Amino acid sequence: MENRYDNRASRESIFQSIRANLASSVSLDAIEHELRHEKHSQPMAAPAPLLDLSLTALFKANLESVDAHCVVVGSETEVANAVGEIIRKLQNTKLLARRIAISDAPGLEQLVKQSGCDVDEIAVTPSASEVFRFDVGISQVQAGIAETGTLLLDSSRERHRLVSLVPPVHIALLDRSQIVGTLGEALLLLRKSEQVSPIVTLVTGPSRTADIELTLAIGVHGPQELFVIVNESA
Amino acid sequence: MNHVTSETFDENAKAALADSQLRGALRNATSLFGQRRLAAATSLNNWEDLRTQARAIKDEVLLHLDQYLEKFVSNAESRGAQFHWARDAAEANSIICDLAKAHGARTIVKSKSMTTEETHLNVALESTGIQVVETDLGEYIIQLAEETPSHIIVPAIHKTKRQIAELFTQELGIPPTDDVAKLTSTARETLRDKFAAADIGISGVNFGIAETGTILILENEGNIRLTTSLPRVHIAVMGIEKVLPRFADLDIFLKLLPRSGTGQRLTTYQSFITGTKTDPDSEGPEELHVVMLDNGRSRMLAHPVTRQSLACIRCGACLNACPVYQQIGGHAYGSVYPGPIGAVITPQLMGLEKTKQLPYASSLCGACREVCPVKIDIPRLLLHLRGEITENAPPAKGRRGERYAFKIWRSTMKRQWLYELSARVGRIFQGLVVKNGSIGKVKGIPPLSAWTGGRDLRPIERESFRELWRKELAHKKN
Repeated sequence: MENRYDNRASRESIFQSIRANLASSVSLDAIEHELRHEKHSQPMAAPAPLLDLSLTALFKANLESVDAHCVVVGSETEVANAVGEIIRKLQNTKLLARRIAISDAPGLEQLVKQSGCDVDEIAVTPSASEVFRFDVGISQVQAGIAETGTLLLDSSRERHRLVSLVPPVHIALLDRSQIVGTLGEALLLLRKSEQVSPIVTLVTGPSRTADIELTLAIGVHGPQELFVIVNESA
Repeated sequence: MNHVTSETFDENAKAALADSQLRGALRNATSLFGQRRLAAATSLNNWEDLRTQARAIKDEVLLHLDQYLEKFVSNAESRGAQFHWARDAAEANSIICDLAKAHGARTIVKSKSMTTEETHLNVALESTGIQVVETDLGEYIIQLAEETPSHIIVPAIHKTKRQIAELFTQELGIPPTDDVAKLTSTARETLRDKFAAADIGISGVNFGIAETGTILILENEGNIRLTTSLPRVHIAVMGIEKVLPRFADLDIFLKLLPRSGTGQRLTTYQSFITGTKTDPDSEGPEELHVVMLDNGRSRMLAHPVTRQSLACIRCGACLNACPVYQQIGGHAYGSVYPGPIGAVITPQLMGLEKTKQLPYASSLCGACREVCPVKIDIPRLLLHLRGEITENAPPAKGRRGERYAFKIWRSTMKRQWLYELSARVGRIFQGLVVKNGSIGKVKGIPPLSAWTGGRDLRPIERESFRELWRKELAHKKN
């Protein structure tokens, strides 16, 4: 056990083992191939029709089915109003919602101030050691997926990794033009960029667990509440 | 339940069968997950095609695993990830202990990882004086209780909320409660301090993407996101079989895995991690270490039947579908991988000598094969492993009788008159052992008593099919 560990030697020996074992399987593979008369599956069926809903309506319905809240508004001003309304409502709960953490998305701080709610603190991308004391995190997101009600967060385009995760409430702002139909389209979107960003996160609803007697509990480690505000005009 | 091993499967199973609380919990969990899986699978109109495609992708990777690994590793390395190669569990643990020491780590947070359960990493880390904290709620509970996981997806499925409440009262000093929300928020608060203090985060890996060098991890709780984003250093432990060729392949696997595991369309979070942060102000780990674990996996490549074990995406669907698992739960298998997939993987990882009973822990009903999202033919694997056990068994004296018995059986089955005669004789003598229409426990007739020790045997029918057929024909002629 106390032999010096040699990363290169281990790597070599694993690759050798893979190649040797695959080589010894070649003749067996030929037999297996003969044996397997697996009937060829039919060509891929067309994906299920996306119902007769607009992408926004579908996105909203799916998001709400995983216990998140979704507000659809018609202008930038209404986005600010919706943020204000959510925060004021939260302030009537025991959460208080007086300390707001936001991402570094341009114009976001302005928008939160515009919302006209009375808060003690607004901090832009607080660090890992500070972020724990905030009640609400507000960020934009990079895409929405209608078929699952999913948000796509690309952390090289906006620093929202902790803001969207640590505070008990996450408010996400999304433009109508960012909503795609399917997961496949979202993956394609990610691949199209020159290189995949270091951190990309898909978020579908608030944090959840059923680890105790399969009883659903919302908000175990991530946010307990997720609000998404969709701006139909953008 | 702690020192249960695979060698004592039969006794473990008997003990589990006597535990009515465990069986109630298993019944609830397996039937609920089974129903949810079915509903989620049928909500897609191309489930079968997805399974076929997923398996074809896995087969392609496994047949050229060396090449896909090289591609994955070089792409991830070019983005700043560092790779460590572990031939076995001991090597993996010592790599991670050395990394922890080099970083002066005192607290490590961990998110659920079957691979590190396989290597018993926590024991190794704790022996060096480092505090390791499991952060998945289920894993946290069993770590507090000093137990082991009993289900791939719901590790603490064997514990009731009352037991968990008692545990939390004892270990965390909260007032007694059986409110699940209260228990959950207690864990949240307690673990937040650990996340804040941790020097290193350790996670597993669900998929590694060769074309981009990305690792992908799925979860519902958010603890994986915290584990991988708060500490400065992230160590990901990955089985060498977890590579997929293309980013676009995830479209298929992300449809299959959550639906098969919990019946969700998607788990709450998917974290795609590609290398390290590019500048000090951007997001991402400062250091990303990927530990690649072989530990018997490359051996499985040597035969097309065993190779399919490496296609497994650890969804847990076969556990929920298995009539054996449904009755005895995960601990009886004496391995982190229980249920049908465990019965084939554990013997291949740990060697057949210590796990001989596992390939027989199945009625070969095929329910596991039906639900497997990557179409692993588990019954065939079980038979293959049984074959290996029999071939390697010494030709002991006791087996001579068995050989003669099969010789007699063969010559009987080849001759219709002899077959019919022996059926007739059997019908006369079975009267001695038939009770209430079936043959229960028979003592003293070795092969028969071994068979009936654990199950009832159907008696031979009063009339055989052939006899009925002949009668029917005669009747028609008249």
